[in-house]
This record gives sequence, structure tokens and C-alpha cells, in this order.
Amino acid sequence: MESKSFPGVVASLDGLRDYVDELSRQAGLAKKATYGLKLAVDEIATNIILYGYEKAGLVADFRVLSEITEQELIVILEDEAAAFDPLANQMPDASDLSKSLEDREIGGLGIFLTIKGVDNFSYEYFNGKNRNVFVMKKQQS
Amino acid sequence: MKVTLTDQEEITVVEVTGDIDSKTAPEFERNAKLATDRNDKIAIDLTAVEFMSSAGLRVLLMVYRNIKSQNGKVILVGVSEDIQDVMSTTGFINFFKIVGTVAEAVVILKQD
Repeated sequence: MESKSFPGVVASLDGLRDYVDELSRQAGLAKKATYGLKLAVDEIATNIILYGYEKAGLVADFRVLSEITEQELIVILEDEAAAFDPLANQMPDASDLSKSLEDREIGGLGIFLTIKGVDNFSYEYFNGKNRNVFVMKKQQS
Repeated sequence: MKVTLTDQEEITVVEVTGDIDSKTAPEFERNAKLATDRNDKIAIDLTAVEFMSSAGLRVLLMVYRNIKSQNGKVILVGVSEDIQDVMSTTGFINFFKIVGTVAEAVVILKQD
């Protein structure tokens, strides 16, 4: 697995997206898939930075682990914040998403876009760390 | 990311250049708020925006609510295919008119 660390601040998001771009290029992902993955990683990293770290007064890095296999690109965001499962929160459903913008709650859009953007998203707490796992299937040639 | 406000008669054009994420969204929000304070007819030009996260959608929601409460009108310009996909998935696309150029937006906004 390849590994790269980023300081846990919002200023890291730009470089993080560039890094995901580069990994997607190496894996040969299509443009649409690359955007979906980039958005997913950005949304989860934002939660880690704003809530896991800044709100908790924690100054720490987060790590991006990645692996390109024959079939997949696997990207893992690993952080040291308190255990937090993004899938445990309630997500907007079809009726929420068809509501007028005047009436709707804005929460949960990030995790919704995360799940929509990737082929598989999962979460685990391992060795005192949160691991958010994003999997993209490579295109069959 | 950079935001420029330009007034064209009774219309304010908000031109955004660069990515809108949780670092840059507050600056986008500040300028969008200035625009809606100034005018109730707004064009938001996203031609030079490649990436927009849910932080940007939140700003669009705020703009929509501000404009709606003033009986005004907002038009988005030059929204990339990727961003339009995100707007469809989240149902945002139904609430915004999207056109290709600022000139088109100005013509429509001047009509009413």
C-alpha cells in the first residue's frame, strides 16, 4: 500500500484532491468516476477535519492509503479522531431529496454524495483509528 | 478560489474561479450574500469552477432561500457536467435555471 499524510486542516483538501486525481489516473479511471471518487474523499476528509479534529481541539495528520489491484483502486482515509461511523447517521431519502429547497434539511448531503460517488464505501475502527474505505472498479478493457 | 461581483444595471453577476470546497465556501457565501443584499436578480457564473462539494451546495441553498424571500430570481451559468450530475442526484437541479453564458442569463433576468 502507498501512503501519504496530510495535515488535518481544510487547506489540505486541495492537495488531497490532486493526489486522488493522480491515483485515479494511475488506475485508469474514467473522468466521471474520478470526479465521484474525488468528491467522496473530499466530503469524508472534510468531516474528519472539521468535526473529528478541529471541533475536538485535536491537531493531527490524516493518512491516505491506496492500492491499485488488477480490478480496483482502493483508497483509505485513516484518522486518529474519536471513533465515528459516517454510515451510522441517517441519510436523506428520495422524499427528502425531492423536497423544495425552502423546506429541506441540509445535513447528510456529504455522506449521501460519498456513497453515490464510489462503487463501494465502508467504515471500520481498527487499531484506534477510523478507516474510511473507498473502492472504485477499474474499467474493463 | 476567487469571487468577483459585477453589477449590470439591476442584476448582480457573481463570478467564481476555482474549486468550491469547505475551505473556500465561506468566501463564496460571503460574496453571494453581498450580491443578494444588493440585488434580487442574480447570475452565478460557475464556468471556471471544476469542483464543488456539498459545502457549495449549502451556499446555493442559502442563495435560493434569500432570493425566494425577496421574490427575486437566480440563474446559474456554465455549470460543468460533473457539477450538474451532483445537482441532479441531490434534487437541486429542479430549482435552478442553468444557461451557458452570462449574456443569456442577463437577457432572461431583464425580462421580468
